[in-house]
Amino acid sequence: MDKLMDLWHASGLYNITGGQAFMILIGLLLLFLAIRKNFEPLLLVPIGFGGILANIPEAGLAMSAVENAIHLGGPEMLSNLAAALHISSTEPEALKHAYHLADSASHTAAVYAANDHGFNNGMLYNFYTVAIASGAAPLIIFMGVGAMTDFGPLLANPKTLFLGAAAQFGIFATIMGAVSLTTLGLMDFTIQDAAAIGIIGGADGPTAIYVASLLAPDLLGAIAVAAYSYMALVPLIQPPIMRALTTEAERKISMVQLRHVPKTEKIMFPIVLLILVALLLPDAAPLLGMFCFGNLMRECGVVDRLSDTSQNALINIVTIFLGLSVGSKLSADKFLDIQTLGILVLGVIAFGIGTACGVLMAKVMNKMAGGNAINPLIGSAGVSAVPMAARVSNKLGLESNSQNFLLMHAMGPNVAGVIGSAVAAGVMIKFVG
Amino acid sequence: MDNLMSEGLSLMVFGMGFVFVFLTLLVFATGIMSKLIAKVAPEAPVPAKSAPVVAVAAPAGDDELVAVMTAAVHQFRKD
Repeated sequence: MDKLMDLWHASGLYNITGGQAFMILIGLLLLFLAIRKNFEPLLLVPIGFGGILANIPEAGLAMSAVENAIHLGGPEMLSNLAAALHISSTEPEALKHAYHLADSASHTAAVYAANDHGFNNGMLYNFYTVAIASGAAPLIIFMGVGAMTDFGPLLANPKTLFLGAAAQFGIFATIMGAVSLTTLGLMDFTIQDAAAIGIIGGADGPTAIYVASLLAPDLLGAIAVAAYSYMALVPLIQPPIMRALTTEAERKISMVQLRHVPKTEKIMFPIVLLILVALLLPDAAPLLGMFCFGNLMRECGVVDRLSDTSQNALINIVTIFLGLSVGSKLSADKFLDIQTLGILVLGVIAFGIGTACGVLMAKVMNKMAGGNAINPLIGSAGVSAVPMAARVSNKLGLESNSQNFLLMHAMGPNVAGVIGSAVAAGVMIKFVG
Repeated sequence: MDNLMSEGLSLMVFGMGFVFVFLTLLVFATGIMSKLIAKVAPEAPVPAKSAPVVAVAAPAGDDELVAVMTAAVHQFRKD
């Protein structure tokens, strides 16, 4: 009978908390959205599944060795930990608090104490440490994105870089939104949190995860989920804004065919960009450096094998671990918070403002160029979300004029948006990091 | 609290300003680079590598072809 009771007390059903059950449902919802609705499935399937794994009671997959020891260890374990952390209390909450604030020496001592009792880091915790806390996974993905990006349309019409810049206003406007919510006492965001939330408006998954991991690791789960969900919703969020801000005549504007871009220019562009980053904004060097490296591998034509690996096999491997690691941050105590609601609302506002600013900038540029040169619809592609946003521009262009193919013209602002959000990320890391 | 607000405001102004300055410089740098390359190392086999342009033009061409064929069929039926 005792054995039976032990088994029952060790079961998930006995131990599950309301929060964990709810988070497992959220994980299932993400899986549903990814599988049935085709929302960024490459990311949301691993994220959703990681979220479910992280919330399995007693398994402690997303917890460090010390957290597992605090949760599962007996009184002896707790007193050992208290000694290692130099505190008198053996209350689990006090121990957790002391562990998070501990200096390296007591931190290490606590880890050794836990290891001595046979407690180890959970699998997802290890993935998170290697993939995201180190900064490696988002940067490797950015390299792959660089290797997949064709700068041809941008080089043929470099002015579209302004559209990529304008659309970044969504990021900074959202920071103001988050800061105002805090000032009004509705939420409790620090300036770092606000910056990490704003980057959702950059519509660029790896950049958002990179910035969040540096500035607000606690909010990473919610920020990544919001960023990828809204990127999947670009075809729903953008068109109403684009229609509202343009006239039918403007949407009909067909643009002149892009000039041919010689190979040498494509090879030189990532190098020019890298030099500019090195001179002006070293804080954006990790992101844009990897991006330029990937692009150079693509365009130089002598390392096709490396280029092929970084845009296929490597990016796929890293995506799996990145997704699972993000999922590990979907724990009930971090995610079930009013802040998450704020992040979701602010994220969609960031997308909306970014889209609107891109379109308005394109209208201004069109007026300056004589009123019949630039279709304002391509401005919305400045938010990045490659290539979805460019496809949306193309689709709306075709609705107004069935002979008007804007896809290539929209790819220019689209990749400019990637550069723009990486620059914005660098500025924010510099100012508040 | 006001401190946070002013921090946010300065982040917005400086951040947005910097993004614009950086991308403006990039526009100029790219323009200069393109001109230099066109002067120093003009590309010889121009028609060989115009694949993306063809890809864009193709659907339009198809539509034109369809229009011409429809007209021809129409004419044929009328006769």
